[in-house]
Amino acid sequence: MNASIMVIVILLPILAGAPIPLIPFKNRTQMMVYIEGIVLLNSILVIAMLFHRPEEALVLFKFTGNLSISFRLDGLGTVFAGIVSALWPLATLYSFEYMKHEGHEKYFFMFYVITYGVTLGIALAEDILTMYFFYEMLTLVTLPLILHTLSREAVLASRTYLYYSLGGAAFAFIGMVFVLTYGTTSVFTPGGVIDLAKLGDRKNLLLIIYVICFCGFSVKSAMWPFSSWLPKAGVAPTPVTALLHAVAVVKAGAFTTIRVTYYSFGTELLRGTWAQYLLMTLVIFTIVYGCSRALKETHLKRRLAWSTVSNLSYILFGVVLMTPAGLVGALSHMVFHAVMKICSFFCAGAVIYKSGKNYIHELEGMGRKMPKVFVIFTISGLALMGVPGLCGFISKWNLAKAAVESQNPLAYVGVAALLVSALLTAIYMMTISVRAFFPGKNFDYNSLKGVEDPNWMMLLPLVLFVIAMFVFGLHSEPVISGLETIASAMQ
Amino acid sequence: MNGWILLPVFLPAGAGAILLVSSFLEHLKGKEDRPGREELHRLHVFVGAILLISAALALIAAWTGDRSVTLFYLMKDIPVYFRIDEVGRLFVTFVSIVWVAVLFYSFVYMKHEGEEKRFFGFYLLVYGILVGLDFAGNLVTMYLFYELMTLASMPLVLHNGSREAIMAALKYLFYSMCGAYMGLFGIFFLYRYCDTLAFTAGGTLNLAAAQENSTILLIAVFVMLVGFGAKAGMFPLHAWLPAAHPVAPSPASAVLSGVIVKSGVLAAIRVVYYLVGTEFLRGTWVQTAWLTLTLLTVFMGSMLAYREPVFKKRLAYSTVSQVSYILFGLAAMSETSVTGALLQTVFHAFTKCALFLTAGIFIFQCGKTRVDELSGIGKKMPVTLWCYTFASLALIGIPPASGFISKWYLAEGALEADMGVFGWLGPVVLLVSALLTAGYLLPITMRGFFPGKEDGTGEASLEPSKGMLIPLMVLAALAILPGIFPNPLIRYIQQFVSALL
Repeated sequence: MNASIMVIVILLPILAGAPIPLIPFKNRTQMMVYIEGIVLLNSILVIAMLFHRPEEALVLFKFTGNLSISFRLDGLGTVFAGIVSALWPLATLYSFEYMKHEGHEKYFFMFYVITYGVTLGIALAEDILTMYFFYEMLTLVTLPLILHTLSREAVLASRTYLYYSLGGAAFAFIGMVFVLTYGTTSVFTPGGVIDLAKLGDRKNLLLIIYVICFCGFSVKSAMWPFSSWLPKAGVAPTPVTALLHAVAVVKAGAFTTIRVTYYSFGTELLRGTWAQYLLMTLVIFTIVYGCSRALKETHLKRRLAWSTVSNLSYILFGVVLMTPAGLVGALSHMVFHAVMKICSFFCAGAVIYKSGKNYIHELEGMGRKMPKVFVIFTISGLALMGVPGLCGFISKWNLAKAAVESQNPLAYVGVAALLVSALLTAIYMMTISVRAFFPGKNFDYNSLKGVEDPNWMMLLPLVLFVIAMFVFGLHSEPVISGLETIASAMQ
Repeated sequence: MNGWILLPVFLPAGAGAILLVSSFLEHLKGKEDRPGREELHRLHVFVGAILLISAALALIAAWTGDRSVTLFYLMKDIPVYFRIDEVGRLFVTFVSIVWVAVLFYSFVYMKHEGEEKRFFGFYLLVYGILVGLDFAGNLVTMYLFYELMTLASMPLVLHNGSREAIMAALKYLFYSMCGAYMGLFGIFFLYRYCDTLAFTAGGTLNLAAAQENSTILLIAVFVMLVGFGAKAGMFPLHAWLPAAHPVAPSPASAVLSGVIVKSGVLAAIRVVYYLVGTEFLRGTWVQTAWLTLTLLTVFMGSMLAYREPVFKKRLAYSTVSQVSYILFGLAAMSETSVTGALLQTVFHAFTKCALFLTAGIFIFQCGKTRVDELSGIGKKMPVTLWCYTFASLALIGIPPASGFISKWYLAEGALEADMGVFGWLGPVVLLVSALLTAGYLLPITMRGFFPGKEDGTGEASLEPSKGMLIPLMVLAALAILPGIFPNPLIRYIQQFVSALL
């Protein structure tokens, strides 16, 4: 396929999304058709592109020297672009129903669609500058989505988000400059691009810069101590929390850390150094910390957000193992967590939309009123716990396998942390399900009058996610072997 | 084609799932009233037929040769694989007998608990999963069924839906999950250091690689044993048992205590004797720690049972203690002790089931849950109390009842195993615990038959109906008879046990 397709899929949503508030739609249906049409068309283009991968790179324009905005689709980009393009149309469908009760739809959908293009820009970036550019863009276009309700809480949350993200990007910028200075090229290359001759005896400098850069990018994936923006951002409408704060934005953070670790700095230089140990310690701590906070949290969406914090660090744990197997684990969790978490968020959204209930103790007895939603929520909870047969088990298995293979004592602690976190996940997810289905003997169901399952626009994505969880859980072989091919380029 | 051996897994699981869905749909429609006589009868016939067919199939599959079948590949090198071997055969047999007996009992009992459809749905589901667990041929398949069993048996505990029951069920869930995850921690390491995760008598550990990393591997195995010990009620993860039993319907407590806790035992057998191998473990700190924990549990369980006034809770503590006898035998790692452990597994299943069924009868017939309310009960229900007494004798280990044989083997095995202080400490603790067992079980018989003067109430018979009495009598007979005719079972166990060590 022609390389220019890469620019098309990035620009189409941006250009078609930007004028949404200006277009005089006759009615809501027309707007829905227009938006879903763009998103679906773009997803079809992306998926066609993934199957007929354009081999050559595309340089959009050159600044000076080796600084350019350029795109190339490699294996890693395929994974991220694949996740994003599969989920966006479904999430859009869900938002049509959900956004009815939020208002200001046109502005919402404008930014929602633009974000699609920007996220793909990160996936397709060929060099560190392009990636950095889209990374900053992502912060800016998602900010209005958090701000959406314009309540005081939303303003504060978006401010926190902005400070954290911009701060993180500033750190990342230092890393970028370092790579541009000491690298043979700024283009992502499996195994890293650092020029050892140029580096000389400044290895410690490299490690310091790497740690700074990793922390900078991992702000988006909410590693402790940069995690508190994510639960706060839960004030955004649920389609945003589900798609952006469980998949697109936060996984862009994980994706960029993979890029700098495996494709820029190179694992060979980093493995076994204090930098690896330091980051692994932070990641392991985050895994447990996120779960513990989730357990304490009584607000449904914030609980899920803390759970995301913990699960994102599963991915980062795979990244900092710095082995090909670790990368496989990280990528598999990136894919599977996307499905599981967007599913549980959509269930939470359906509950909020239908009943207006936000807190967990208010959910008693809802299982009988919204049976489909709560059955699906329970399944996604079981998947997050890592019950075999569902996809969460597969990624956990791959992560732990890689950790054991690495023979790194700290990684063993990481395995233990994964399982502690799984137990805590069991506690914070199952208590919700049990409460919903078994409210106690004398529960008065009349208090929930009028609460019912949502319509097909909300249910269809949920059902598809459940099917995906089972399919990936029972037949993961094609996905995993694909990821292994990607990782095998790394040594 | 050996695919049919999975029928006893999928048939009851499928039928159970159908019942559950239909009961859930009824609830959604808002149909709250109790099913009519006719409907209940049809349900009983359906459940009974499915279970009998499945049990027959399971036994035929188990006892007509070694079979194996690979269902599909969960991951590249990890199949969902079933193989029927000696231990699985033994387990599936007693599981099936107990399951059928308790089913007939619960036809009557569940009338007073209600929600029969849901109960029998989960009951069938758990049976299918247990058969799958017993037939599992590798560690990951076993883990899969182990987790499913926890999830499917939890609703049996919270059946009556009261606040306490829900809390107890959550406690059960979280303890079991904690145990399962500790098991999983070890599985990751065994996957790395074993040649294969398929169960092989004697173990598959790659000893050369294992010796190099023995520290972490020993830690992993220990974590696994403690984790799987959660299901078997081993200290420190035993606390779910006394919480779950009093609130669960009695048939559920019976199978929970008699059978489901044994899956922890099965998991320990699989890990120690079929994967890691005794060669690697014998004489290490893991063995010492495991022995210590089991003996501690034996003693502690008995002590707690002794001072417990609630009857079902007392029996629950008794399970904590008695199942650790089994684990002690496994930890001693000698041929005789392992034989004793397997014997105790089978005997305890029948015995403890019978005891819980009596507890259920006391609740069902006269609503009595505390031990001190039971004085004089023998005059009103002599048959029940006699069955109780026989089962108690078996549990204490008074010859010729069955418990005597298993405890004899356990004690002898401990003495002959070369393990220092535990060689004599083990038998002593077992003996003390046996005394305590007598102390907490027999007073009920004595006060039941000889209440003293204060009991002036009528002599009207409260004996339960045949539907409850016959399963109880069968299980009580099974608690006694294998003690009188133990040879076939012992011979069966001895023929494979030497290959394990």
